Amino acid sequence: MKVFLKFLPLLFLLASCSNDDHEDILYDNPELSLNIPSGFPEHNNSFYTNRPTKYGVQLGLKLFNEKRFSLDNTISCASCHIQANAFTDNKPQAIGIEGRIGIRNTPPIQNLAFMMFYNWDGSKLQLERQSIVPIITHEEMDSSILEVIGKINEDPSYKDLFRKSFGDEDITPDRIYKSIAQYEYTLISSNSKYDKVKRNEGGTFTESESQGYQIFQQKCASCHSTELFTDQSFRNIGFPLNLDSNEGGRARITGIEADYMSFRVPSLRNIEYTAPYGSFGQFATLKDVLDYFDDGVLGADNLDPIFKDNGNRIPLTEEEKELLISFMKTLSDNEFTER
Amino acid sequence: MKNLKKYLFLSVISMAFVSCSNDDDIPVANNVTLAFNNTFGDKAIVLGNASSTTASVNTSEAGQVHRFSELKYVISNIRLIKADGTEIPYNVNDLDKGATVVDQSKPASLNYVMSNIPSDEYKQIKFGLGVRNDLNTLNEASFPDFYAMAGANDTEMMWEWGTGYRFTKIEGFYDTDNKEMSIHTGSTVEGEEGSYIQGVDAYRDIVLNLSTNAVVGSASPKITIKADFDKLLSGNSNTITLSTGTGMGDNATPNIHTAVQMVKFVDNLGGNGSSDTTGMFSISSVEN
Repeated sequence: MKVFLKFLPLLFLLASCSNDDHEDILYDNPELSLNIPSGFPEHNNSFYTNRPTKYGVQLGLKLFNEKRFSLDNTISCASCHIQANAFTDNKPQAIGIEGRIGIRNTPPIQNLAFMMFYNWDGSKLQLERQSIVPIITHEEMDSSILEVIGKINEDPSYKDLFRKSFGDEDITPDRIYKSIAQYEYTLISSNSKYDKVKRNEGGTFTESESQGYQIFQQKCASCHSTELFTDQSFRNIGFPLNLDSNEGGRARITGIEADYMSFRVPSLRNIEYTAPYGSFGQFATLKDVLDYFDDGVLGADNLDPIFKDNGNRIPLTEEEKELLISFMKTLSDNEFTER
Repeated sequence: MKNLKKYLFLSVISMAFVSCSNDDDIPVANNVTLAFNNTFGDKAIVLGNASSTTASVNTSEAGQVHRFSELKYVISNIRLIKADGTEIPYNVNDLDKGATVVDQSKPASLNYVMSNIPSDEYKQIKFGLGVRNDLNTLNEASFPDFYAMAGANDTEMMWEWGTGYRFTKIEGFYDTDNKEMSIHTGSTVEGEEGSYIQGVDAYRDIVLNLSTNAVVGSASPKITIKADFDKLLSGNSNTITLSTGTGMGDNATPNIHTAVQMVKFVDNLGGNGSSDTTGMFSISSVEN
């Protein structure tokens, strides 16, 4: 007995040594070189600890299109995030399994590598922590991450891609979140007419686009700033209110009254393709949005000062609206949307 | 390496000694039961819908009658403090083994049995109302049992959009016309502990001195903890008047789900985290 006890620890030591005997073949899985388009801001910090790799992105794309993410295997990420629409669905509010209607408008997925906040209320600061939300939300996929893993675990094509991406076949929640984020990091829209004009790659603005750009700079660019066309701030701009009992805008997250019914300033890139507009699709067309600004928005204690100090409106003539819309259409990127 | 072997050897030996002492009359460890008594004042709450004739009806300091149809909260991070001040944590980093959902509609959930508590005298208990931020990530892979319990259709103690657990969920009715009330609390913090970038921390650490020392040994004590939900609207921190609407200040429903009004309820139920570390909780009795 005594002898056995003495040697028991030794057995442990032997056992731990054998852990080194992995037989996995190491694949060449190079990091993708993604260029930062000129004038774009720095990457989100998380990007640097989860850089897109060749197979990581392939895996992320496959997972993005995986309908087994949903409880009844009917919808994937790509069901709502449709590439031709800059990864939106043209519906006022997102529609999940069994036709369940979500609280908000599907956000576009573009240039996320350069964003500091995700979701309309900025609830997530890292893309790797975002993808679990639609998987488990009742009105979206209504599943759980272990349920998803259970469904794809025995799929040889996944085993292969997880091995190539991460070194072994283990399908873990973190690896799923990371690979989806890697794929999303690669979705960069920077080849619109606007970009090509800016970069002197041939092509010039038409007269109306050019005039529209000037009006844009005077009346819109303080919020829709930088090459992302959003300053990533959260503002209440007096849009018609979503009366859903779960809606509070950014205040739902921060608990700060000044954030009540505030939402992230949306990027205007590919705005032509992301109708309807507003946090729950209040406006069918860009013209409707501009008419609303011109007519006057809803008052609120925390209404953005740009509206509050100007009689709750952005005055625009009919001609100015047309010119602004023609400029905004130069932000459409047909390489990105594969139109 | 040689040292490691030595330590392993010693630990094996000491384990052998520990197991020997099992032969004595007093076990090395025993259970402690936490019995949660959810009340309005001194009376246990009876749940019921708007038309119920048996539901407990309470009146707030502001004069509003109210009743609950649903009452749930999460207890975790339990620590027992010995008479000498030593703190004995109870699976504080494992939600499967150390956290529970107290649900007034499920009598079994009102008694939480902690096992294998070292034999000794205990003078104080600490626990969390809610889930500590570092564990509040809906991590199904690490804590599948708690995830399943909290996420069950008849429990619904998750905030999917915040990827965290609901800490309390109260549904009910208020005022004489029985308007709906729906009060949910939970944390929305993002970032690292100590340097949150945004959000509200709704976790509250509760500290309760035991009325008499709990003696764990040959007996397994039962500590009865009163949770007085009269404090929800008439608490140490805030006197709250419920109102229904869509304005920033309306708090009964709908937008109590937002963090704006939530903190007032959190402070009433779980204390404000500084001067008040008991909130609605108190010790009713310790049965040894």
